[in-house]
Amino acid sequence: MVKLYGVEGCGWCQKTKKYLDSKGVAYEVHDVELNAEDAAACEKLTGDTAVPVLTVDDKNYVLGFDKAKIDALLGL
Amino acid sequence: MAKKIVHKDIVIIGAGMAGLTAALYAGRMNLDTLVLESGLIGGQIANAVSIENYPGFESVSGGELIGILQRQAEKFGAVIDEFDTIKKVTLKSTPKIVETEEHIYECDVVIIASGMNRRKLPLPEEKTFAGRGVHYCEMCDGHMYQNKIIAVMGGGNAALDAANFLTKYAEKIYIIHRSQFRADEVTQQRVKKNPKIEIMLQTEIKKLNGKGRLESVDVIDKNSGEMKNIALEGIFVNIGVEPNTQLFKDELKLSDSGRIIAGEDCCTEIEGVFAAGDVREKKIRQLTTAAADGTTAALLAEKYLAKLKA
Repeated sequence: MVKLYGVEGCGWCQKTKKYLDSKGVAYEVHDVELNAEDAAACEKLTGDTAVPVLTVDDKNYVLGFDKAKIDALLGL
Repeated sequence: MAKKIVHKDIVIIGAGMAGLTAALYAGRMNLDTLVLESGLIGGQIANAVSIENYPGFESVSGGELIGILQRQAEKFGAVIDEFDTIKKVTLKSTPKIVETEEHIYECDVVIIASGMNRRKLPLPEEKTFAGRGVHYCEMCDGHMYQNKIIAVMGGGNAALDAANFLTKYAEKIYIIHRSQFRADEVTQQRVKKNPKIEIMLQTEIKKLNGKGRLESVDVIDKNSGEMKNIALEGIFVNIGVEPNTQLFKDELKLSDSGRIIAGEDCCTEIEGVFAAGDVREKKIRQLTTAAADGTTAALLAEKYLAKLKA
């Protein structure tokens, strides 16, 4: 399952969601502001304290909205 | 795969206040209008927590205001594409060409409302600490600094609003600015009264320190010349913006600051090409003046199109 770490008011997170929707990609949202465990998992994955972060396997990820990298990660 | 060739009356480059206002007006004049945006719809105000100087709204978030404007523009037929990035523009030809990753748009009018990009922290360590202590989006990354000591760099309204917003999370916030505040008086008073905020004016960050993550900054007091080390875990950079005109530098005259030269009528040196909003060289750059530019550009674009078709 595609996992998106993000925050409700974050414009880049919203844009990432819209892009995934436009491509028909199913995903689950993990709000790192509302859930400390998700925040810790996100920081552990990237080493960064920034979102959005998109991952498919909790190993490979894309930080920020980068269409080319998202396409490569998801095979779009 | 060959790119699809599509004709449009107007292509608007940028979906900030100027671009969306132009789209609203163009849509209402029944013009076939496309808006291309590679960043965030809303531009500089997309992540603004609270806007208090836009007439008709006591306080509104950037997302809410721009959401209303986007719906208005789309209601009247404007199409907004935020995923098809522009690769090249050819403005002097007939028709004008806007080439994206997926399309070749031929159009009679181009309204450039590409706005401004947030300036990066001009220190060699910026790349090392980007996302690991150095941030550019308070709404996205502020929550990661619960009960931490952080700083906001900058002295304009955006910087001071960011500092106020971040007090929701952080234990203490330094506002570090190299000169005096440029923010309006109301906003200045708000940060001065906030017990979590310490203001350091005439102060410049000289170096970022840390192993893997930001741990402290070296600053210099520009009056005394005294150097100081401040322990903190994050900096939110708000040191101004620079014009997003890279695509147009070979096509249009730019000012010394890199903005497009156009008059109050938004007309550039090329007929049928308009510059609207903060990307246009002018003295006052506010949301209201961006909306005014978008209006002017769209109305004059319609007159230009009518003349072409006559």
